[in-house]
This record gives sequence, structure tokens and C-alpha cells, in this order.
Amino acid sequence: MMSLDRFEDLAGTYGGEIARWPEGEREAARALLAAEAARLAPVLAAAAQLDRLLDLAPAQSPDAALLGRLIAAAPRPAAPARLWIAGLGAALGLSAAAFAGVMAGVVIARPAVQAPVAAAEPVVTAVDTSAALQDAIAEPSEL
Amino acid sequence: MASDGNDPDETLLAGVGRGEPSAVRQLLDRRLPRILALARRLLNDPGEAEDVAQETFLRAWKQARAWTPGQARFDTWLHRVALNLCYDRLRRRREVVTDAPPEQVDAGPAPDAGLIGADLSRRVEAALAALPPRQREAIVLCHHQGLGNIEAAALMAISVEALESLLSRGRRALKAALADLARDGG
Repeated sequence: MMSLDRFEDLAGTYGGEIARWPEGEREAARALLAAEAARLAPVLAAAAQLDRLLDLAPAQSPDAALLGRLIAAAPRPAAPARLWIAGLGAALGLSAAAFAGVMAGVVIARPAVQAPVAAAEPVVTAVDTSAALQDAIAEPSEL
Repeated sequence: MASDGNDPDETLLAGVGRGEPSAVRQLLDRRLPRILALARRLLNDPGEAEDVAQETFLRAWKQARAWTPGQARFDTWLHRVALNLCYDRLRRRREVVTDAPPEQVDAGPAPDAGLIGADLSRRVEAALAALPPRQREAIVLCHHQGLGNIEAAALMAISVEALESLLSRGRRALKAALADLARDGG
């Protein structure tokens, strides 16, 4: 059971609306108010009177200029056109790289074919490199 | 402060991160007035309040794409950023040495009785401004911003008991400063 003193303290702290008092004390406060209405109703009324005065403290409405500045500074959506161009650019870049890789393989491989038999070691290396390049080129298209 | 997983701003914030104009607009409609009001009541200066609100949301925009759901409620995060910006400005005010003392707003009753509308509002604002900063902050967070005691105490980096003490002393001081209005039926 809440004491009368605690009820008066809460009214003097949180005001005249029990709904704005700490959640855990509201039920006991309402029960006490029902039991001691003659004594406690004026306590609540006095606190509510101060609440109403406090409500008169001026607020401030946002003006159009402030709203405009904040709207202008807000995040922008990612532009779909730019995304499409970026995607196209990446695709073209990949194709160009692939083409360059093929050409490099061809250029490197050609001397291997024409090389004299005596130069066996470099021939193997060039062919391997060409094959590795072909693999590397093939990989992205599989993604 | 971890979120309870029901952050009402999470979906909008994700939209802001994707650059959706409607999400930006809705989030501003929902949260900018709260942050502006917080700064206004703590700083008692419309221009500075606007600067704080603007800086708070500029930081929010930077966070939007990287926001991790479940870490903290966005509203709590906004309050923390705005509070820190207000603290900086209040600290700078104290550090500024001027020849003339700053003009004090008179929180006492006006000579003519029967205050209405804007006058009443100015009286309340002056009484609030006359409170010690931590009492004012506690009242603004709990009463005006509607934060729970645990959330407000965490934002102020104090215990709930300390928060209650600040609230209680603040409200007593306000009640005394505005006693004439209360008598008139405020």
C-alpha cells in the first residue's frame, strides 16, 4: 500500500496525471486515490494546475527555411542511371581485359611455335602461360 | 541505451537512408518540432534553438545509412545529440566574460493584473529560464518532452532518485514563481 506521503511526493515530482508517474507505482496510487479521494484529489488538482501553466511555455515551430535546409541536406537516392553506366563500364572493362589477355596469349604463344627445338624450356613456359591466361579469361564469364 | 525493438522511427529512418524524400519529410514532421522545442526551452533563445535542431538533424542524416536497428531508439539518440549541443552552448555562455551582466528576465508578476495569451506564456518561460539548468532540464525532459523517468535519468547521466529530486525542487520553485497565476486560476 502506498503511503499518503509518497503519493504527495509523486504529485510534486511528476505532476497531476497519474498516467505520467513511474509505471510501477501507478496502480497503488490509483488505489490510494480511490480510498482517500477527499484528501488526495486536491493534491492532484494543485499539481495539475502547475502542469497547465508549464504547458504554456512557448515551443517553437520549425520555419520553412529550416525545413528547406534540412530537406536539401538529406541523403539522396542512388541514381539508377549512374548505376547502369557504372555497370556497363565495368562490363566493357572486363571485356577489354579479356581481349587483351587473349591477344597476350597469342603473342606469347606464337614464338613458342616458331622456336627452335633447342629452346625447349622457354617453349613450355610460354605455352603454360598462355593456357593460364585463357583460364583466367574464362573464369569471369562463368560467374 | 538499448531499444526495446519497437522503435517507431526505424522504418522511416531506413527510408531516409535510401534517400526517399517522403521518409525525410515524415521524419522531420514527426521529430523536428520536438527537438526544436527541447532546445528552445533549454536555451531560451529561438535562434540558438534553430541552430541546435539543424545540427542535430544534419548528424542524423549522416547516421541514417549506417543506423543499426535495436541499438537505441532514434528519438532517444536525437535527444542525446540535441542535449549535448545545448550543453555546449550553455557552457560557452558561462565562459563568455562580459563587462555588462546578461539581461535577466523578470520572472515576477507583472505590475498589471490579468495576463493573457503571450504575456502568460512569457511569464512561464521566464520562470522556467530562471531555474538552475539541471532542474530546468529535468522538467523539460519529463514534462514537456514526455520522457519516462528512466530514459530521462539516463540521458542526464544521473540516477532516477537524483532526477526525482531535481524535478521536485524545480516544480516547487516554479510553483512559487507562478503563485499569482495559479491563484488567478492558471
